Amino acid sequence: MIELNAATKQYGSLTAVDNVSFSVKTGEYFALLGPNGAGKTTIVKMLLDFARPTSGSLSINGLSSALAACRTAVGCLGENHHIPPYLSGWQYLQRCAQLLDMGRSDAIDQCRRIVELIGMQGREHTKVNTYSKGMVQRFGLGAALIGKPKLLILDEPTSGLDPIGIREIRLLLESLKHQGMTIFLNSHMLSEVEKICDTVAIIHRGRLLVKDAISAILKDGDTLEDVFVRLVKG
Amino acid sequence: MNTLKTLRSITRITKYTLSDQLRQKSFVVMFFICVVFVFLIRGCYQGNYMVNGQLLDAGTVVGTVSKVTFHIIAVGVMLIAALLSMRVFRRDREDGMQSCILSKPIARWQYVMGKLLGLWVLSVLFMFILHGIIFLITSVTLKVVMPGYLAASLLCSFNLLFVIVAVLLLSLLMPDIVAFLCVMGVGIVGLITDGIYALSHSQMAQGMIQQPGPHPQSDLTWWKIVHYVWPKLSGMQYFASSFIGSSEVFHGFASVYPLINVLLYCLILGALLFRRFRNEEII
Repeated sequence: MIELNAATKQYGSLTAVDNVSFSVKTGEYFALLGPNGAGKTTIVKMLLDFARPTSGSLSINGLSSALAACRTAVGCLGENHHIPPYLSGWQYLQRCAQLLDMGRSDAIDQCRRIVELIGMQGREHTKVNTYSKGMVQRFGLGAALIGKPKLLILDEPTSGLDPIGIREIRLLLESLKHQGMTIFLNSHMLSEVEKICDTVAIIHRGRLLVKDAISAILKDGDTLEDVFVRLVKG
Repeated sequence: MNTLKTLRSITRITKYTLSDQLRQKSFVVMFFICVVFVFLIRGCYQGNYMVNGQLLDAGTVVGTVSKVTFHIIAVGVMLIAALLSMRVFRRDREDGMQSCILSKPIARWQYVMGKLLGLWVLSVLFMFILHGIIFLITSVTLKVVMPGYLAASLLCSFNLLFVIVAVLLLSLLMPDIVAFLCVMGVGIVGLITDGIYALSHSQMAQGMIQQPGPHPQSDLTWWKIVHYVWPKLSGMQYFASSFIGSSEVFHGFASVYPLINVLLYCLILGALLFRRFRNEEII
């Protein structure tokens, strides 16, 4: 589903992503882990063609990430998600549906279902500038789910959410995984990742340190946090 | 099928650009101030004007006042179009709309095209409404119908396209306000070179040039090059205003040259804008 082939991204003399190669299979729940500034968001940006790789290639469903068509069945929630403050959550979801070329009635049906799914019934018609960060995040996730994508790319989806919100998002993502959706997750929440992900990749200073099934990484009673700290601290 | 889908995407982004701009309180306030200003101009048609001790007839007054207001509105809307355009990309980036649109199967050129068309349509409508008010004042109150007035307004829309494309491009390269000032500077330099050109072709200047003296005459002076190559926004406006009243519109290639000049600049700057945005990092 996702293929990174020697992907490198340089900003002047700084190498944000250094020769990273890995793949994510269809239906897999994949987590990309790393400390701040490791290059996780840059990889997501390159996947969505928000940033061009300096060298190497990235593809989604066999199509180069530079092609708009590769994002046909992709939903995404970026880090620090924003919604125009003058729109309501409902209007935002409607815009996302229209941008996917959905019919009017289909868009309304899906948006109604998604508002329920993200638990925002009753607040969908109020302006976004009255929402908390967590509510904006929920609508962002809702927008990513419009059009029933086959691949979900999430950059810190639980950022700004309270513990109950985090649990709800985790349960939602688990149910999506059971429906066969491929999930690419960028997260700092190691405990959450440990609970739900199939495969984990850890990057540090732009380099891939490990990529394996979570069961293969966690040995001898180690937690993901132990492995993460050991690998990152060298 | 794909072409239709592409067009639908562009139309949607255009629609969002229009509605997002119309939501801005500053835009609405600006529009109402302009409308009030245009209505106040109505009084200028009713005055008595004397030139060299002779009272001007009503037809001359209507023609002259209409031309003057035509130019004031065209310049004012160019200024407003630049103001509207300078913050479009930044606002979209800050509001998350840019990443929302570009995370969908929509190409970057479609996004830029949608933004460009949205701003252009809005500015053209803005100008057309203001010119339309003048047209209605002269048609209904003064019973002088000037069909060329609205055609001239539409022709001036190419100036707006130039301003929007230039500001959008420059706003990707420099701070918004600097981009705005640069484009305004382009307009002012154009106006000055046109002024120098007109002055040098006046009878008085011709007489001075033809006086015997040791000055070597070069036909291609620096300001002449600037005059021909520089974006001819004021020339374009002058050409458009020739549609108003009874003056003859076409005097060969020279009269159409500003239109060609502005269109060429729109094409070149447009190509640069699309190319620059293609390599822009989306935040």
